[in-house]
Amino acid sequence: MKYNYQLVKIPISLLSFLFLSISIAFAQETTVTGTVTDGDDGSPLPGVNVLLKGTSTGAITDFEGNYSIKVSGSEPVLVFSYIGYLKQEVPVANQSAINVAMPLDVQSLAEVVVVGYGTQEKKEITSAVVSLDAKDFNQGNINNPSQLLQGKVPGLSVSGKGNDPNGKPAIRLRGISTIGANTEPLVVIDGVIGASLDNVDPNDIESINVLKDGSAAAIYGSRGSSGVILVTTKTGQAGGVKVNYHVYGSMDTRARDLDILTKDEFLALGGNDLGGETDWIDELTRDAYSQVHNLSISGGSGSTTFRMAANYRDINGILEKSGFEQINFRANINHSAINDRLNLTFNFSTTQRESNFSFPEALRYGLLYNPTAPIFDENGSYFQVVVFDNYNPVGIIELNQNLGKTKKFNYNGKVDFEVIDGLTLTGNIAQQLEDGMFGEYYPGTSYYRGFNRSGLARRRAEDRQFTLFETYATYTKRLGNLNMTLSAGYSYQQEKFEDFLIDVGGIPVDAVAFNALEWAREIRQANRLSLESSATPKSEIAAQFARANFSWDEAVFLNASVRREGSTKLGEDNKYGVFPAVGLGVNLNRYLEIAAFDQLKVRAGYGVTGSLPRDNGLSKPAYDVNYSEVDGSLEANFTQSRAANPDLKWEVKKELNFGVDITTSDNRLTAALDVYTRTISDFILERNVDPAVFGAPTRFENAGELSTNGFEISLNYKAIEGTDFSWNPGIVISHYKSTLDSYVIEEQMIAELGAPGLNGTNLVRIKEGEEIGQIWGPVFEGVGDDGAPILADVNGDGTLKTDQGNALAEDGDFALLGNGLPDLELGFTNQISYKRFDLNMFFRGAFGHSLVNTFRNFYEPRVPGSINSYNRINTELALDNLTTASFHSYYVEKADFFKLDNVTLGYNFNVGEVSWLTSLNAYVNVQNAFVITDYTGLDPEPALQDFGSVDNGNRPDVNPNVLAPGIDRRNNYFTSRTFTVGVRASF
Amino acid sequence: MTMKNKNIIKILIMIFAMLAWQSCTDLEEEILDNVTSVPETGGGGGGGGGGGGINIGAPYSVLFSGTANHNSYFSIQEVSTDEVVIPQRGADWYDGGTWLRVHRHEYTPQEDGFNNAWNDTYRGVFECNTLLQDADVQADATITAEVKVLRAYFYFRLLDTFGNVKIVTTPGEDAAQSSRDDVFDFIESEILDNIDDLSIGNDASTYGRINRWAASALLAKLYLNSEVYTGTPRWQDAIDAADEVINSGLFGLSPNYEDVFSANNTQNGEHIWVVPFDQATGTGFNLAMMTLHYPSQLTFRLSQQPWNGYCTLEEFYNSYEDGDERKENNFLTGPQVDVNGNIVGDVGFENGNNGGPADPDGLQINYTPEVNMLEPNALRQAGARLFKFTFALEATDNLDNDYPIFRLGDILLTKAEAIARLNGDWNDTETIMLVNMLRERADATLYTAGEMDENEFLAERGREVFIEGWRRQDLIRFGAWGNEWWEKPAHSNANLELYPIPQAQLNVDPALSQNPGY
Repeated sequence: MKYNYQLVKIPISLLSFLFLSISIAFAQETTVTGTVTDGDDGSPLPGVNVLLKGTSTGAITDFEGNYSIKVSGSEPVLVFSYIGYLKQEVPVANQSAINVAMPLDVQSLAEVVVVGYGTQEKKEITSAVVSLDAKDFNQGNINNPSQLLQGKVPGLSVSGKGNDPNGKPAIRLRGISTIGANTEPLVVIDGVIGASLDNVDPNDIESINVLKDGSAAAIYGSRGSSGVILVTTKTGQAGGVKVNYHVYGSMDTRARDLDILTKDEFLALGGNDLGGETDWIDELTRDAYSQVHNLSISGGSGSTTFRMAANYRDINGILEKSGFEQINFRANINHSAINDRLNLTFNFSTTQRESNFSFPEALRYGLLYNPTAPIFDENGSYFQVVVFDNYNPVGIIELNQNLGKTKKFNYNGKVDFEVIDGLTLTGNIAQQLEDGMFGEYYPGTSYYRGFNRSGLARRRAEDRQFTLFETYATYTKRLGNLNMTLSAGYSYQQEKFEDFLIDVGGIPVDAVAFNALEWAREIRQANRLSLESSATPKSEIAAQFARANFSWDEAVFLNASVRREGSTKLGEDNKYGVFPAVGLGVNLNRYLEIAAFDQLKVRAGYGVTGSLPRDNGLSKPAYDVNYSEVDGSLEANFTQSRAANPDLKWEVKKELNFGVDITTSDNRLTAALDVYTRTISDFILERNVDPAVFGAPTRFENAGELSTNGFEISLNYKAIEGTDFSWNPGIVISHYKSTLDSYVIEEQMIAELGAPGLNGTNLVRIKEGEEIGQIWGPVFEGVGDDGAPILADVNGDGTLKTDQGNALAEDGDFALLGNGLPDLELGFTNQISYKRFDLNMFFRGAFGHSLVNTFRNFYEPRVPGSINSYNRINTELALDNLTTASFHSYYVEKADFFKLDNVTLGYNFNVGEVSWLTSLNAYVNVQNAFVITDYTGLDPEPALQDFGSVDNGNRPDVNPNVLAPGIDRRNNYFTSRTFTVGVRASF
Repeated sequence: MTMKNKNIIKILIMIFAMLAWQSCTDLEEEILDNVTSVPETGGGGGGGGGGGGINIGAPYSVLFSGTANHNSYFSIQEVSTDEVVIPQRGADWYDGGTWLRVHRHEYTPQEDGFNNAWNDTYRGVFECNTLLQDADVQADATITAEVKVLRAYFYFRLLDTFGNVKIVTTPGEDAAQSSRDDVFDFIESEILDNIDDLSIGNDASTYGRINRWAASALLAKLYLNSEVYTGTPRWQDAIDAADEVINSGLFGLSPNYEDVFSANNTQNGEHIWVVPFDQATGTGFNLAMMTLHYPSQLTFRLSQQPWNGYCTLEEFYNSYEDGDERKENNFLTGPQVDVNGNIVGDVGFENGNNGGPADPDGLQINYTPEVNMLEPNALRQAGARLFKFTFALEATDNLDNDYPIFRLGDILLTKAEAIARLNGDWNDTETIMLVNMLRERADATLYTAGEMDENEFLAERGREVFIEGWRRQDLIRFGAWGNEWWEKPAHSNANLELYPIPQAQLNVDPALSQNPGY
């Protein structure tokens, strides 16, 4: 067997013909001609492979579906094959013209699955792998490939709070898979490990495979713990040139509001009247229009195929100014030579994006800014005040700039050479080069960041380089009933990152913004200059891997792999790790022969994967520099800020997965059930250490253990299959629970609520032996006469201990107020077609999770001291007599939701009359059409991780905390509802 | 397949195998934007000026954190006393109740401030221990003595605050927990063993560093509190150590109280040992941020918006007589204007229309000595602000003022108190004389014989060394820790005189035992 990343859906039988063929020459030759058509609609099929069986003699149909082939030998047979169609064998039997109608192969789309370093037939898979094709993807205004998958893969959560066009959703497979390391799945695009989903336009994706469990991901070793997402881009087919054009326009509108006080209500409750009246949220948001164009040209002839695509995106978000403009270009070229033994693939893509990040935090000030404040003061300047965490939100957006440009260039070249029959050597080299230039400017007239510094400019430049080199060999052999594929190889990865950041105040004239830093007064007054630059060490990974796949009797499958991998990021004494995996699957129906089933496969897989630290250098000590003046000169002093740990190692995940795959014999019902248990240990954590011994209060260590148990179900049913009308519903359900088996400390409160006034108030309890995601606090029972909450005597001991210091005390009155992680996630697809219409309705829900509504917690109580200056949140839960802001159960809300996430109505035009048009499809789509929830906040989506509290113009944490899910922070972008109209045409 | 082809295949496979199984990558991580050990030369800064070519600045620079910033050593020495309070101002500054608990003496081992103070202090110990391993340091008796006495000072902070701590003297090595008595003995012997090797100079080269006189001042403080630490009073030793400093002739009272603390107080003649904060190179003095109301940013054109937290207790403010220059200098009160004389207003002022207290002055900020309540709705403008270390115009969030650890004024009071206690007479002539030296400078009414008593002395010490980090120690030494003051009930729990060992430290070192009563 031969591996090819680009051609996902090539039936295996075709491959065997291509590579096992031997030329035998015969004397007599005749020529056979004919036309190959689509068995479904009769249209001509260009690019169909026509092969004289048992030889290497072949031809390919032209644009009109015509072919011509020289035939010789006794009892010659022609084999017609084309991706997506069933292979046809036709005996020539002295015919000189053979016309073939190719029947569609409905099974073929899922037949071959891309796995690490190769492909496997789907029936041979013994692990939890899900493949999705373009037809399964979410539709509409999709700007990041992860959104294509949202809700479609059981166990995969894609969650972004709000719809920031420049934001990136968090992706989680089967819950938390690591504590202190990379939380995002490993992305592999066309065989390039460690790629970024930002580098590929959603329009160019052919299919996405998700390796969910450890036995599948172990071949990716120390980076496989969070799961692996394999993206295959579209490629060209031999035959005529095909042109596809896809265009859509969309409009985003604000989907949900958080109720706040009107001017009159605000004044009635005693707010200070500043003389104006402004609906801040209306001022900040807009109906945002976006447009996307995708033009691709593909084709090929003989041994060369190509595809080129250009994408243009002009995307705007509901927050004023937020959006980006992007041009992306991608080309794939494939060439075969030496009797198809040599296969060369070259891919490259470039992406240029200009972003206006705007200021999503303005939305939060839009909610809490005094509704009687005018936008402008009497002088026509923006009305601004110096009060903690309180900025004119329109001023933030209009006065300041927050811009960025990124350029990405990726390429990879791959060579496959079949040295002898069955043995293929592969070499793959890839580079991803990215640079970004970012600028922020806050003029002296802006109280948000700029005023303090008489005009503050920030410039940041970054540069990232990733290089991959891999070689591997694959050997395929058939011995009677036994099919085996053995592979082994070497992988080397290197990543480098450098950046430079400067914050300078005292810009003398706003017109130059961040483009003339040398003029800054602070440059001359250097004590106010803040500047950062950093460069990561070369982060290298080296690995050797091997795998064996055995298939017996087309029904019993054994897959085993091992990877030995080392990384520069780990401690001196623990550089290398070994990651084994094994899986076994049996199609029982081959032996049971139950008539109702086509397939009844049971499978089990076990695998070990790792996670590397997010950052470099964590095993090494780190130092801070201070200066002291001695004799009038400055002396640099180095003090240790972090202690070394030469034992630092990767986080380990061990996972056992059982699955059942069922296909009924009428092919109408397919079902898969996966049950798994996984254990993550050796979290990479910054731990307190004894400062007396280590000199610094912390260092990175491995500690702790977390286990997750869960199940996933997917069902697809062809409920109605008529010629005019069909309905295919599909459902995916997933559930998991994670338990912290051991940790560095028995129990701890984390996730601080923040300022104003709620520093030191922690929301989440983590405790050994208990579930992850516990929102922990006092229980609200009502409001006292003094306006303070009446809290419950939870333990009934007659004394009330509800202050934070007692959160974990035995006699403390704290309780579990909710869990941040959902119990059940659901996706429900309906593909309906009626004549030329198709309707796709996708519902999505999550149940059992809670959110701390921090907006309400801070701003809903009628705190006398703050109502004067901050508007109040005024949901249906607001209590006018509650005048103290403190954390308790009243702000923890159930956030179960069920939504019509994505609905598309399309129409396929009859283009039979138009000779130059192959197909024409128009559609309308709505994203986030409606949501049913009791949650009063902006977005009931689970908050899977926490970036901490941000206030007063400060900047959020870079690394999220995954142990603190369930907090709906104040800095989230608003959610939008998106309407899209699009047209797809093929020529 | 021909022979030739087979050879080619063999070669190809060999090349492939070499590529595939090479693992010569050593995976060595070369850090580019930090160092993994202290550079030999101490960086390009100044080449170790004053240290005989040896840079020993590292442990000193540890003092930049904790000495005068929020939520570490300074905060836990001051907010628990009768001179500083952080009221809860509506939705601001509740912070999990930590400062209310500290103020009311209801603190627990969980308070972050305790842990931060512990970490900051032991980091200083570690940096000293590291230097003492250095061959150049070991070869230089003066430098060795300096580092050892500096380490003794860090242990003095631990002795005073947590009492029963472990004495670690080698980097990377642990030690068993010592009793407070043993920690006292260690500090005393370290100072006595090294004091004669210290520099006796007092000039720019010793500024901000330990010299013989700083060591004597430290001894004076150690002996003054000896009765608290060990049960045995050492009044005469305290007097002798104070006299060492006073009689050196190297220090004189500054003519103006204000100058000792001003933004350009570097090398003020009263300083014995300071932490030489610098807004650019030695950052960590955040008092303007900690105390000023948000819009006071306009008054001082500060580069950052302040936090509106710390203020003084009204009783304490009123303990100064009018005309006492220290009252004028130590507090910021009254209506606030900006640099152009325009009023500084707070649009968030309390208008009283919503059930909460009303700000009687409306929009304009007027810092009143009265604080209407501790919690939950202290007025945003309430409280005289801590203004002792004057804020320069256009100051950044990090002040430029040097922060005295030991200064002559304090040592004079140390001697005055030791004499009074030794003689059992608070009206001892010399005691009154020494106290009056400071009163006279401040233009305050002088004491006459018979007016002084223990309480009066404690109050006078408070007025003089306000927010210099001594108040907790003083209250304990005068037996006043359990006294009642504003919004702080009286208690008789002597265990509270030692802070608890922070919970985080008990977690990392289970061998540590908690102090009694926690």
